[in-house]
Amino acid sequence: MSLVSAILESLEKMVDENGWSSVKSVTLKVGAMRQVIPDVMKFAFDVSVKGTPMEGAELAIISVPIKFSCRGCGARWGEEELGYLCPFCGGTNVDMDQGMELELESLEVQER
Amino acid sequence: MTTKKVEVQQAVMAADLSYAQKIKDRLKEKGILMVNLIGSPGSGKTTLLEKTLGKDGLRAAVIEGDVATDRDAKRIEATGVPSIQINTNGGCHLEANWVDSTIDKLPLDELDIIFVENVGNLVCPAEFDIGEDHKVAISSVPEGPDKPLKYPLLFTEASAVVLTKTDLLPYVPFDLDLYWGDVGKLNPKAKRLDMSCVKGEGLEEWSRILRGWLEEKRNG
Repeated sequence: MSLVSAILESLEKMVDENGWSSVKSVTLKVGAMRQVIPDVMKFAFDVSVKGTPMEGAELAIISVPIKFSCRGCGARWGEEELGYLCPFCGGTNVDMDQGMELELESLEVQER
Repeated sequence: MTTKKVEVQQAVMAADLSYAQKIKDRLKEKGILMVNLIGSPGSGKTTLLEKTLGKDGLRAAVIEGDVATDRDAKRIEATGVPSIQINTNGGCHLEANWVDSTIDKLPLDELDIIFVENVGNLVCPAEFDIGEDHKVAISSVPEGPDKPLKYPLLFTEASAVVLTKTDLLPYVPFDLDLYWGDVGKLNPKAKRLDMSCVKGEGLEEWSRILRGWLEEKRNG
């Protein structure tokens, strides 16, 4: 719910700054590590936008899978091998390359 | 009236992160360590604090996050350590802007460490950077050994993982190897700690970890 509040806050600011009359759709990139359940987020969004320029807007969620890479051996792997331990060389010097995204990707807006 | 598509590519939590950075800068200037305790309701966060505060020579304060009531804050007050309560009124975690507006009410010049006891929850508190130096994941034996894989974000973000209530191991089925094995896969760098506040086990090591972090912060 507070992720939705943060999204609405960003949207309201953009609507104000650009003078749009309404927002028709919102596309959001959400990393799989973000612990977001899309249906729950859509429900929270639909309820929260009532009475704002975003009322009735459709929320599309692009889920970004988790990807790791190992600085030691250069291997890359995904969430089927969830972990910060390289499944190839056993190294611990591992980066999460994607999976923590929470980004507004694009909007469809109605101009005045 | 025309409809148009706008590319945005903007991180949603930017505002919150700027508050978190402000807190980090403030605490760095003062040389104060901030530790964010995250675990389920009943995992033993307040008890761990009661066993920690005032016993290891560190000058501490506590920010208590709770959905409602000041019961935990009262328990902390009884230890004689300054504490501030933030009621989230239904919110499931603390956010940096609240912590920011709270921090200056603490006697910052007299502190080594600020503990934040986050709202009891394994999900949302892990998502929000509140300007802390370290997140500590706290989970207890009766909750079962499957928590790390079910709530991976907290366990990957944590600098230390504390398994509490280990005095219950003879009575509750709990696979220690499974638990610590999963923690090791998610976050091999995290410090791992078995703890029983009832028996006093693990508390000395906990103290050592806190002192190490404080030293790192002041020297780094």
